[in-house]
Amino acid sequence: MQAGTRLVVNKQVFLDNLSLCMQKMTVIGPQKLRGGEVTFGPLRSLRGLTLDYVNDLDPLKRFFLPQREVLFAYDLSGKKPRLLQPEQERPRLLFGIRSCDVQGLAHMDGFFQGACYDELYWARRRNTLIISMACNRPNESCFCICCNGGPWLESGFDLQLTDLGEEFLIDIGSRAGRVFLEERPMPAVTASRRHETRRRELMEACDAQMVPTAYLAKACIQITNNRVREELWEEMGSECFSCGGCTHVCPCCTCFDVVDCPEGAKSGTRVRCWDSCQYSGFTREASGHNPRARAKERVKRRFYHKLSYAYIQQDGHPGCVGCGRCITVCEAFGLLDISAVVKRLRRDGQ
Amino acid sequence: MENIYLPDLAVIDRIVDETHDIKTFTLQFASRDLRKNFRFKSGQFVEASIFGAGEAPFGFASNPNHPEHFDITVRAAGVVTRAMHALKPGDYMGIRGPLGNHFPLEEVKGQDILIIAGGIGLPPLKSLIDPMLDCRGDFGQFIILYGARTPADRVYKPLLQEWSERGDITLLQTVDTPDAAWSGPVGVVTTLFEKIKLAVDRTVAFTCGPPVMIRFVIQELLAMGFAEERIISTLERYMKCGVGKCGHCAIGHKYICVDGPVFSWRQIKRLPER
Repeated sequence: MQAGTRLVVNKQVFLDNLSLCMQKMTVIGPQKLRGGEVTFGPLRSLRGLTLDYVNDLDPLKRFFLPQREVLFAYDLSGKKPRLLQPEQERPRLLFGIRSCDVQGLAHMDGFFQGACYDELYWARRRNTLIISMACNRPNESCFCICCNGGPWLESGFDLQLTDLGEEFLIDIGSRAGRVFLEERPMPAVTASRRHETRRRELMEACDAQMVPTAYLAKACIQITNNRVREELWEEMGSECFSCGGCTHVCPCCTCFDVVDCPEGAKSGTRVRCWDSCQYSGFTREASGHNPRARAKERVKRRFYHKLSYAYIQQDGHPGCVGCGRCITVCEAFGLLDISAVVKRLRRDGQ
Repeated sequence: MENIYLPDLAVIDRIVDETHDIKTFTLQFASRDLRKNFRFKSGQFVEASIFGAGEAPFGFASNPNHPEHFDITVRAAGVVTRAMHALKPGDYMGIRGPLGNHFPLEEVKGQDILIIAGGIGLPPLKSLIDPMLDCRGDFGQFIILYGARTPADRVYKPLLQEWSERGDITLLQTVDTPDAAWSGPVGVVTTLFEKIKLAVDRTVAFTCGPPVMIRFVIQELLAMGFAEERIISTLERYMKCGVGKCGHCAIGHKYICVDGPVFSWRQIKRLPER
């Protein structure tokens, strides 16, 4: 088998193999909650798994940058403080992750490497096999098509599945993905022209369902050149509740706070947890000085980070994968999600 | 690969009370290897930890030519710094660093030097002044301007005395509010500019202090005819990780902790928010 060649595996056979994996590694996949919502979590058996889903409202970045994570533990009972590093987690398989979240991981990969290499992030990244599921059913808030975030991807996954009904059509994205297939009793055939045609039809049907709402290009130019009226930022700031929801659900947002959590006087942990540039305390210094004390400045900051050329050049792409989650969670009556903001900028723009 | 958030242990050798709310801590690493191999540059900083209280950034306040010990000067302002003020010599702190970029020390040799410091902005500049004075002959005219709220709020009083007695540097000090013993100038630090003579085309100005002071200092320097790249300042922002990850200290697409804290005015003026 070669990377790049698409294969076809019977769906039930693939899922049975997935089930076998659950003994040796943590398999994380989509499951339905009682209320009907879908969330990703560890699976004990195939019974918990659902393939009837669009996506999880919580971004899957949480499996790599958890909402709360211990950086180290400290023990002050001896003469000299002792610092204990967190233990390695066991290998994981992330099954069914959507393309937008895979692109989100690509964004985080770029951010967490480099001179200040974040080993805590990368330890999880390295021990997790990514089996993504291309989207053939977007929901009304999806706009990945505008952001190179899907519905199908060329890379970023170990395996990418297309659900053909009885079969999975598989793109192999990495050596680890190829090994995964080779090591398991999974009769696979090379995709035929019929399979390829079906895949193309699904892609086209999905594209057609997508209503492109995020015309990023013009907003990028306006923000880069500081050509957005201050009054418009002012207006948007006055509408923002500074709840931080948009940043928490964003697959590209990575900001965190670091705090110590004492457990008694002699021991405790240092923890990082998600933070948001939309909170007024985010930039407040001990002296009381706060360069972004007003919501207007914070909203402006958020979109500068998402859409300015300076950041696009640094990251290689805008800070948005089109998952549409900020549209779902924005408290400001749909006025301040990224799709709404680029629309407002475009209409207002000179 | 190592955990970039894990500090090394350092022991407090000495604590000096500078003012009613500022102390200088002299530290050395607990590990002999680190003590031997540790190096830092003027303008860089450390993240100092008090386990249980948290971590905060402090610029080096001592001479990088003597890296076996280093100083940080700390005002008790928040949770971490108040916990630090309760420590005694022999106690441990966690230290991560050196972090950030540094002052251009080699690059400004042969130039006249103008240092403008406000309040607790003097410590990071001291890490520049010290090595400059180690090779005093490499620089032309050397002027230090220091402003503080009151005479008692000045840090490093014995050192200021020492500097003022040196014939080869000019130290001018001013305070906003004098006390009975103060006979020097009164007013903000920029009022000292009229008392000095400069050749702006061969002087490099370094400034550090409260944001509002820096703003006025830079305005005055530009008005005096300083070229943008001859004005070097430090930017400060609330900072958590110190390694460009937590996002708190970002200005535009620059992270003060890794791209800074030292910037020329030419760089600062291009930032979208400042």
